[in-house]
Amino acid sequence: MSTLRRIDDEVRSYHWFVKALMVVVLVGAVAAMLRFVYGLGATTNLNDTYPWGLWISFDVVTAVPLAAGAFTLGAIVHCFNIKKLEPLVRPSIVTGFLGYSLVSVGLLLDLGQPQRAWHVLWYWNVHSPMFEVSMCIMLYTTVLFLEFLEPVAQKFGWKVSLRLLRWLEMPLAIAAAAISTLHQSSLGTFFLIAVDKLHSLWYNPLLPLLFWVSAICSGMCIIILEATACHKWMGEPNEGLLLRTLSKILPWTLGAYLALRVYSLVLLSVGPFFNRPWLTLSFLLEVGVGFLVPFIMFCNKAVRENDSRRALAAGLVVFGLVLNRFNVSMFGMMDPQNPYFPTAIESLVTLSIIAAHILFFVLIAKYFPIFEHHPETVDYRIPHRPVKTAGVSGQSAGRG
Amino acid sequence: MSFNRDFSRDGTFLIDLTKCTGCRGCQVACKQWNQLPAEHTEFFSGEGYQNPPAMSEYTYTRIKFRDYQKNGQHEFAFYKEMCMHCNEPACASVCPVGAFEKTAEGPVFYKDNRCIGCRFCMIACPFGVPKYEWSKALPLVKKCTGCLERVKEGLHPACATTCPTAITYGPRDEMIKLGKERLLKSPERYVQKAYGYQEAGGTSVIYLTALPFDELGFKQVTKRALPEYTWEALRLVPGIFLTAGAGLSALAWITHRRERLRQELEKERAALAAEEAKEDQE
Ligand code: SF4
Ligand code: SF4
Repeated sequence: MSTLRRIDDEVRSYHWFVKALMVVVLVGAVAAMLRFVYGLGATTNLNDTYPWGLWISFDVVTAVPLAAGAFTLGAIVHCFNIKKLEPLVRPSIVTGFLGYSLVSVGLLLDLGQPQRAWHVLWYWNVHSPMFEVSMCIMLYTTVLFLEFLEPVAQKFGWKVSLRLLRWLEMPLAIAAAAISTLHQSSLGTFFLIAVDKLHSLWYNPLLPLLFWVSAICSGMCIIILEATACHKWMGEPNEGLLLRTLSKILPWTLGAYLALRVYSLVLLSVGPFFNRPWLTLSFLLEVGVGFLVPFIMFCNKAVRENDSRRALAAGLVVFGLVLNRFNVSMFGMMDPQNPYFPTAIESLVTLSIIAAHILFFVLIAKYFPIFEHHPETVDYRIPHRPVKTAGVSGQSAGRG
Repeated sequence: MSFNRDFSRDGTFLIDLTKCTGCRGCQVACKQWNQLPAEHTEFFSGEGYQNPPAMSEYTYTRIKFRDYQKNGQHEFAFYKEMCMHCNEPACASVCPVGAFEKTAEGPVFYKDNRCIGCRFCMIACPFGVPKYEWSKALPLVKKCTGCLERVKEGLHPACATTCPTAITYGPRDEMIKLGKERLLKSPERYVQKAYGYQEAGGTSVIYLTALPFDELGFKQVTKRALPEYTWEALRLVPGIFLTAGAGLSALAWITHRRERLRQELEKERAALAAEEAKEDQE
């Protein structure tokens, strides 16, 4: 009784915004139940013309690149050894872990036979990009879970596992980057099969590569947005200095993306390109506002060093990425005479997935050492000879 | 995937639409053989006289009608829509659980006990064939079976058996030969092309028509087998995985080693400096 009481009191003490998020998540959960009771046909606007809708376009195709920050930062910090950025790794891992868990939820909701999801593990089809992405998502969620265990172990003072996890940090970061490279790009491969269906502004053989590079860009931008927001609204420390370093990398990746995009459009695609005004507009918004403008902004030192302008530029990249994924997976394949709109239930479920992401992030940040982790002083070398055991427990406790 | 298999003996439909009378016996035979319920439809709910308005979970094949003018006369042209039983099916290549199989007999068979319901097959099929059981809580995919059970027993598919005029069924090479003969013999009767001969890399349904294909509602489809488009990227997967893994490991090793050396050097220098300081003191 008293535990319930305590939980109740705790929840009551939350900020109204957190409570509002909880309500949205609950409503979404009910909407998701309706889908299982009444079926996809009754609750969504999916049909034989539009077998994929909002849930695939957002919950899977868009959410996965938005959660790419974890592997990008892991590689930057642990492989490129830019250790300065280490404090950003934990929040990005939490984001990634939440993101991928929710992608799995979205995917299960969308499957017609979710109880058979395990079939993917049993009946392999290596020719299927969907097989590849599903396998990677399962593997990568496991990796993220292991990485996420570190603050958990620290919170509960499990010293041995903390040491083990710390030792695993590097191999996990490498595995994360390799697995992510595969599935981020394979999401692009999905649409290579849509020859003659996807509009030429987006269809080209480089789609997988473009998906990968843009995922890297947006992953970093999400970290910028997240850290800025946490500083502003949650009273977390200002990571401005680190974000400045991070945003120095962005002109390179965004520039590479734009160059690849132009190359693939000019040399690898066959028109017609500008035959559909709405698609042209969507394309211009995506590439212009979503990639070109922030590229120019990030090239500018004044933008990189100003917290709010940097966040704005990052926001534009996220906008560009979302629009790009929708253009590829939805708008670019739509029949203008008979367009698709999501139902209220579809929209609610997606909305509550976003809300769940923010909610869980806030709660985890509240109860686990996500931001306090500033290990500038920590020695991150892989121990090349065993450390004497006497010092270990004290040392690892001190490390957090 | 059956890249480079020989498809010439696969059971194939040769559908001569100039001989089709629009009786729709095939539609009825298909429903009967597959025990598919009737649909509640209205006349003229689709583009013309055709009914039902589209293929669906209950309708695997359907005759499309097109009326047009020829020498001041009203004429009808028809198009029998169905699964094309592609030689290298897009549906089979994208399915994560391999629920589709191009059988040795010719038909592309759907194993409904495997399907997880991701509907990628519906996105991938260039002809828009697989349909979904939208009415159900746990739906499956539905499409023409090519009457695999009948074909295995040496029978012809239900629609081909019923059709009084237009459908011939037999090995692919013979059907192609027959089609070519007809195009040569009466060039005034046909568009000089057989749809399905090369479409999507070749299919087990081949059409001859009098009207241009696009006017009848045939889709413009690439001549390359669709699985090649995705395989071009997917075949790189193991290589990319190994390169990324090894590359990053090497990078990590180098950067960390460099750092270790630097720190050791610093330590040595510090030690040296300390010693010197000590000596100075003494
Ligand atoms: S027509 Fe479509 S469903 Fe039929 S075999 Fe070809 S790809 Fe598969
Ligand atoms: S819906 Fe079923 S048959 Fe179609 S691709 Fe997905 S798992 Fe395969």
